Amino acid sequence: MKKLFLLASMMFFGIATMLAQRTVTGVISDSSGETLIGANVIAKGSAIGTITDIDGSFSLEVPEGAAMLVVSYTGYQTQEVDIANLSNVLITMLEGKILDEIVVTALGIEKQSRTLGYSVDQIDAEELNKARSANVVNALQGKVTGVTIGNTDGNLGGSSKILIRGATSLSGNNNPLWVVDGVPINNEQYVSNGTRISGNRDFGNGASIINSDDVATMSILKGAAATALYGSRAAAGAVIVTTKSGKGNKDGSVKVELNTSYRTDDLFITPRYQQQYGMGDFAKYDSSSIGFDWGPELLGQSVNSLPISGEPGVLQGYDDNGIKDFFRTGRTVINNLSISDGSEKMNYRLSLGALNQIGVLPGAELDRYNASLNVGLNHTSKLRTTFGLTFAKTNSIGTGATGANDPNIIGLGAFSSTMDPSLFDPWIDDAGNQINQAGPISNNYLWIRNENRNDREDTRMIANLGTQYKVTDDLTFSGRYGYDFDQDNRFFSNRKGTIQRLPGDYRIDNINSVQQNIDLIANYAKPDLTEKFGLNVIAGYNWNKRARSDEGYFGSNLSIPELFAPGNTEQTVPSRFFSERVLFGAYASADITYDNWATLTVTGRNDWSSTLPKENNSYFYPSVSLAVVLTDALNIKSDILNYAKFRASWANVGNDTDPYQLDQVFNPITTATGQYGLNVNFPFNGALAFSKQNTLAPENLLPEDQTSIELGAELDFFDYRLGLDVSVFNTQNNDQILALPIPQTTGFGFFLKNVGRVDNRGIEVSLDAVPVQTKNFTWNTGINFTAVRTEVVELAEDVDRVLQASAFGSVQVVAQEGSGFELFAIPFLRDSATNRPLINPNTGTRLAGEAQAMGSVLPDFTMGFVNSLDIGPVNLSFTVDWRSGGVMKSATVENLQNAGLVEETLQNREGTFIDTEGVIDNGDGTVRDNDVPLASAAAFWQSLDDNSISEASIFDASFVKLREVALSYTLPKRLFKGSFVRGLSVGIEGRNVALIWAKVPHVDPENNLFGAGADGFGVERSSVPSTRSIGVNLKATF
Amino acid sequence: MKILKYLSLVLILSFVSTSCDDSLDINTNPLAATTADPNVVLPFVLAQYSNRHVTELGTRTMDVPQHFTACFNSPRQGSTSIFLTGNTWSMMYTQVLGNLLLVENDAAEAGPSSNNINAIAKILKANVFFELTSIWEDVPFTEALNAIDFPKPLFDKQEDVLRGAVDILDEAMALIDAIPADGVFDVTVGDIIYGGDMVNWRVYANSLKLRVLMVLKNKVDVSSQIAGTLAQPLMESNDQAALVLYSASPGGQNGYNQLVEAFFGISNEDQFVYAPSETLFNLLEGDPRFDMIIANPDAGTPIAMGMFANPGDPVIADNVIRDDLPHMLMMPAEISLYRAELAMESGDMTTANAQYKNGVALNVAWWGGNIPDAVETIPGDTQAAFVDGLAAPTLEDIYNQLYIESFIRPVVAWNTVRRTKTPSLDAVPGAIISTILKRYNYPPNEVASNSNTPVNLPTDTPMWFEN
Repeated sequence: MKKLFLLASMMFFGIATMLAQRTVTGVISDSSGETLIGANVIAKGSAIGTITDIDGSFSLEVPEGAAMLVVSYTGYQTQEVDIANLSNVLITMLEGKILDEIVVTALGIEKQSRTLGYSVDQIDAEELNKARSANVVNALQGKVTGVTIGNTDGNLGGSSKILIRGATSLSGNNNPLWVVDGVPINNEQYVSNGTRISGNRDFGNGASIINSDDVATMSILKGAAATALYGSRAAAGAVIVTTKSGKGNKDGSVKVELNTSYRTDDLFITPRYQQQYGMGDFAKYDSSSIGFDWGPELLGQSVNSLPISGEPGVLQGYDDNGIKDFFRTGRTVINNLSISDGSEKMNYRLSLGALNQIGVLPGAELDRYNASLNVGLNHTSKLRTTFGLTFAKTNSIGTGATGANDPNIIGLGAFSSTMDPSLFDPWIDDAGNQINQAGPISNNYLWIRNENRNDREDTRMIANLGTQYKVTDDLTFSGRYGYDFDQDNRFFSNRKGTIQRLPGDYRIDNINSVQQNIDLIANYAKPDLTEKFGLNVIAGYNWNKRARSDEGYFGSNLSIPELFAPGNTEQTVPSRFFSERVLFGAYASADITYDNWATLTVTGRNDWSSTLPKENNSYFYPSVSLAVVLTDALNIKSDILNYAKFRASWANVGNDTDPYQLDQVFNPITTATGQYGLNVNFPFNGALAFSKQNTLAPENLLPEDQTSIELGAELDFFDYRLGLDVSVFNTQNNDQILALPIPQTTGFGFFLKNVGRVDNRGIEVSLDAVPVQTKNFTWNTGINFTAVRTEVVELAEDVDRVLQASAFGSVQVVAQEGSGFELFAIPFLRDSATNRPLINPNTGTRLAGEAQAMGSVLPDFTMGFVNSLDIGPVNLSFTVDWRSGGVMKSATVENLQNAGLVEETLQNREGTFIDTEGVIDNGDGTVRDNDVPLASAAAFWQSLDDNSISEASIFDASFVKLREVALSYTLPKRLFKGSFVRGLSVGIEGRNVALIWAKVPHVDPENNLFGAGADGFGVERSSVPSTRSIGVNLKATF
Repeated sequence: MKILKYLSLVLILSFVSTSCDDSLDINTNPLAATTADPNVVLPFVLAQYSNRHVTELGTRTMDVPQHFTACFNSPRQGSTSIFLTGNTWSMMYTQVLGNLLLVENDAAEAGPSSNNINAIAKILKANVFFELTSIWEDVPFTEALNAIDFPKPLFDKQEDVLRGAVDILDEAMALIDAIPADGVFDVTVGDIIYGGDMVNWRVYANSLKLRVLMVLKNKVDVSSQIAGTLAQPLMESNDQAALVLYSASPGGQNGYNQLVEAFFGISNEDQFVYAPSETLFNLLEGDPRFDMIIANPDAGTPIAMGMFANPGDPVIADNVIRDDLPHMLMMPAEISLYRAELAMESGDMTTANAQYKNGVALNVAWWGGNIPDAVETIPGDTQAAFVDGLAAPTLEDIYNQLYIESFIRPVVAWNTVRRTKTPSLDAVPGAIISTILKRYNYPPNEVASNSNTPVNLPTDTPMWFEN
């Protein structure tokens, strides 16, 4: 009966169509102008339809009265198009909400997000490249939940640190595992030239060579359940990078893409320098007093000797202390060209990238060239091989030194109100002597920048080879081999005649690291095991080997100034380092899906580590997670609530330790250390030297243990225009392998053992919304909120705190029992009743209190506000980044204030100065307002760090930044119709655009002395000023 | 075909599993040794001790006994900054005593053939414990250096530490006396002080014992032990001085001058980094050592304590602040002056006078040319005339000469002024304490990890040994 009715209907409509028809033609494309092949076009209210051809065009005979076309295409929003008075239409499809988003999970396994019992944040190529950063880590700022990104400064090629869900490890293992196309890569940051305190040279973190143009997606695996299959190496989370694979244009032709940016970089923050008073001390002018402006008021007076030149002249102030005449406008040029294609048999993508930067610091340049090739071969319908190769060559010259005790540091405190930095040019005479020095014991800044070298040549090759064999429709075997090679050659020199390094010296550090990884995986996938149940089982084997070998050489006291050869030095100190470790792992996981709305995932992994004692080197850890799509389970169909998923997970993971920690050994020593870096070397008086290690070797060391619980929900409302993703988590880290500080009176400084417990609790909220959506205007917005509380619940008996990173000037980052990762420093001594600083009645200066924890170096919360506005072919995107809480010590601010360089030091410059904030203890339990004058304002500011007090320069590190802005215009396709150009967009983009609000004055609150290699957020010293980067962008597709 | 595939897989997996154990057996550091010869451990101990001593205690605290007017990051005003004390504490306990214990234990196990090694280790250990108690008063001694049995060592009273140091020195001398005639371990290379000359080591040990007893004497009666010490060979000539030699060669240079060169430029006389205090300046006036120690070409007057010099001010001479200035652990002048002090206290004015002149003569000769790599010298007749012209001393004169003799040796000088109260030194301007610094506070690492650490006292609290 039904068939009869259908037949009758078809006949009726067929007759009707025959009666009166007209032809509508059109072209359907996506928002980038790319034509869509195979889009469905149906005359509304009829069964008449067609699909678009290879050009995205269609032609459809519609009934005369047809007023609307219904156009649909997978992944795009279905739309109705008015054709009442039109015979030709151009239709642009808008990307729709992907209901079953595919995300990349551990081992590169793609899963439907609805089946995941844990949180995974994934960022795609478009978002990553809105305003490309030279370091791909920075592109995540503000865009995903659960991560904290730390920059060091504006140094070219500087490192960035990513912390996932806060710091959990007391032993510094807080860096997530980076995996590119299924292969773990090295994200280490190797510090050169001693410590971060003394003349640190930051050359970036290992992952910074990833070319963001090659990235298809970045997945952030945050909880232990998400990373369980990676084993111990991902205890601090994992960043899974999937690079783009070969794909041709939609018409089947080869696809060529060009993405080019040209930006200029200038100083992001300029301190509020004062120009009312000149260089000198005690209100007297001194031409050599560079960076110390406690001199006379500037009244147009003449002096016998102007700074640098030594010529007589009128003393005058220079705007911004002349720093804009010293720091130049930098340049960042990023180019990327890719060619890709695909067919049934093979696909490939070849990409060439270039990053060319000139730094704001004179002499600083960086060039990085990337070449990558991804190839996929389908040998048969069952056998597929993939091959990926990334080659990156990074050369940098003249990047800056930071910290202290190094003549090459030029911080913001090195400029004076009355010094004209342009006079530093020339800096050298014909005989090679330094001229136009900043002072008798200060170098000419351009001598430092042009004659002393800080160069790096880094060659990196990451290769992966994978093969996959489909035994049956359900059973697949695959294997993957990864090889990550890095040759990092560094060269530093101080030319003979450099003050503080007068005899001249040079250092070579050649760092060679190799990581190899093999995964063998069997996968049995049976989505329809029964009518209701689906099953996906994975079993695998992993082998990972990491080796590092360094050779170093230090030569000093040069004979010929620019000859850096061992025979030209009077003193030589060679150095060597070697480390090797192996990890074996066997793992399995099973996903059991019920009726496509509930998925239970159970995983287990056993690792065998070379770094643990043989009797304890095997450790097993399980995880279990559950995802339930409630809307499907309860069959909820609502216009308000479209999708509701709840997830829960529990995981327990282990971790090993560093190599060579188990034996008590003697190390050959090349240097006997001294204060201020005044070392002597061995052989000393002809004798060699060995010393016992300072860490007492462990007994019965066990793997670390981390247990993590996570609950979450994903909700979509109002036709998917409002999405909410919430996660709460609790992580407990026990048995941490820590070189525990023990009383040095035992003869050892540390004892390696399992101790302590660190808990992390947090909440992550991600809100996505499309507040406005019209035909020509769409506003997508998202808010990412993360709050993590780290608590050091327990350390060890009688141990209150453990040093995490040591700075200088009496500041340390410590893990403190009962709190978290804290800045430990000396505060002012305060009156307990009024909390005002107590003043020494003899001097009028503030008294020092006992060293104490001054606040967490990690933020209370971070929030990102990501926006994208599409107005026809114009897109405006911007990201605002808010970090709230945490403290930082700024030695730069301390220096600027101490030296009278900034505006706040103008107060009461003439005459004596009373510290009105302070009180004096009357000795009878009462206090009175301070009435003891200091000799001058200079005496006040200079006394604030007396006796190693740091409180005056410790600030709330909160800030709000306009992180990135991009405005782009996609040119209409018709402009280049018939040409080889398929799409073209131009834009303006900026990174680090504006500091909207901050509590720390004069410097960028994100500047950080410690790089990616340490957990030392919270300390800044003599950073290379960070930059604002603004420019233009062109994207073209051919 | 299928069987072949599965067979291949099994083979791969079996290969992987059999190679697993071997592959994991790689956790031995190829760049480290499990044992070490004393000839390579002792140089580390001595050079590390000396360099940290010079650069930490020397360049930073020579203004505490007020030889210099000011040092950078000095605790002269009363705050020892708990962070700054850590380096010295760590050096002494972990780098010096920790290594010496291993040397000592190995030598004891080897028996009499290593008595020389054992004795050297013990003498150096006694010296370091003496310095530890001189700086911090109560320090771990009996329970120190035994992490397994005493993970949180108790702090011994200063008297016990001082007496313990004396005992160690007695043990060392007994070991030296029992060195066999032949078959002795050759420590020529590793002993960078005396090149393995155990006669000199015994003299040094006994002299060091006298130094310790002189501190004990301030508080308790150790007269019989002192008498015993005086009856044994003591340091008598400058060529017996216990020195760690530095050189003008890069990598082997003394830290006093390296600090000047690293941060200021060539020559203390041109850079005005270290200046003599008024006390030292006045004590040396009319003394031939003045021009050896102080450069004052413009005939300036000494600057105030706490100040750094400017052009025209007197400064410490380049004759002192030079790359090859030796680190002076002990010199004979100190012993002669102790003898003078002891003789005067016993009423033997003749011996007191003779030892006083002998002590001054030794120190004048030291600065006048005996010091290794001397730049400036004092003619022999000038030396003799000066010494001959010295009046019979008072106790204060002896103390003042001890003060001069201890020049540029921070712990000895600090002990001298705290023990003798001579010369009289006032708190420096801006001080938060009422006297000169009397003690360091314990470093934070020890406080945090050892619950037995005593409460830090105000830094003007006198130590036990002070009267």
